[in-house]
Amino acid sequence: MRWRHAVFAGLIPALTALAAATEDAGISVRDAWVRETPPGMAMTAGYMVLQNKTSRPQVLVAARSSGFQTITIHRSITKQGMTGMEHSPQVELLPHASLPFAPGGYHLMLLNPKRTLRAGDRVDIRLEFRGGLVLPVAFEVRK
Amino acid sequence: MMTAVVLAAMLGGTWLAAVYRENGSQAVFLPDRVMTLFPAPKPLAAFAFTDQENRVFDLSRLKGKWSFLFFGYTHCPDICPTTLATLARARENIAKSAAGAKDVQFVFISVDPNRDTAGKLGQYVAYFDATFLGVTGGDAQLGNLAGQLGAVYQVEVKPGTENYPVYHTAAVFLVDPQARYRAVFAPPLDAEGISRRFEVLRQLEGRKAA
Repeated sequence: MRWRHAVFAGLIPALTALAAATEDAGISVRDAWVRETPPGMAMTAGYMVLQNKTSRPQVLVAARSSGFQTITIHRSITKQGMTGMEHSPQVELLPHASLPFAPGGYHLMLLNPKRTLRAGDRVDIRLEFRGGLVLPVAFEVRK
Repeated sequence: MMTAVVLAAMLGGTWLAAVYRENGSQAVFLPDRVMTLFPAPKPLAAFAFTDQENRVFDLSRLKGKWSFLFFGYTHCPDICPTTLATLARARENIAKSAAGAKDVQFVFISVDPNRDTAGKLGQYVAYFDATFLGVTGGDAQLGNLAGQLGAVYQVEVKPGTENYPVYHTAAVFLVDPQARYRAVFAPPLDAEGISRRFEVLRQLEGRKAA
């Protein structure tokens, strides 16, 4: 028990340091939300607005969450009159620019949620950037 | 003249202009980015799908009602739920209008019958709106109606995996109560844009019929 507390006690400063690191890195996220899953569906999408406040390009390379089996970065595209999705292995944020992940464009494709997501729930997703920066983001589930 | 003024006030902005001549009973819609209205309605030919309750959904089911048709598939995390949520809001707007939504139906056509069984389709469309219909059919029948509407789709079924890509036209097609293809709404779609245009078109049709 004492050992477990010690682990938690160690974790809190570590998380704080992590948050500080991403704050220093100057990448921020706002309006982060995940679409509620229609009944029986094992996938949904996550949206947000990423902002790069630094003077260097920043590259989003992955997103992870214990709440889903896998998360991939996708983009809806239209080619020859047809709309479909393509996998984007990485997304570059230009210096001092923001990039929306929005319906019909970039989105996080969230596969096999571990529980049914209902409007008002919270989903924690870690965004990983090139260079090792990790940004923990709380996404709100919306209908 | 009065009618034209009333219409212009209803339509607002520059998105659509309708000129209505009292005597000739002719409506002229100017080019619009959201809705393309065909000058000559195109009668649709026979097709055969099955709906979410395993009933036949054929040409006769398009008669007597305005139908909004959308091609998609349920394993679609972005475009399809976005469009269905938009159509649900458009239907709500239409239901609140004076003429109501009794003569309007919304039909989600799955191009992925391999994964979208009747049961799955029913559950899926009802989540967005209890009145929505979900239909699907074999490739020949899907190709038949898609071809008549100018829609395209491509399903890259990979044996042994539940995840495979599907591509489809993201527009919404409007068929009139005589089962004639009348208009198409191009993405990006918004509920108010769709419902306001539809209400004007339905009103003009009502006048023509009267």
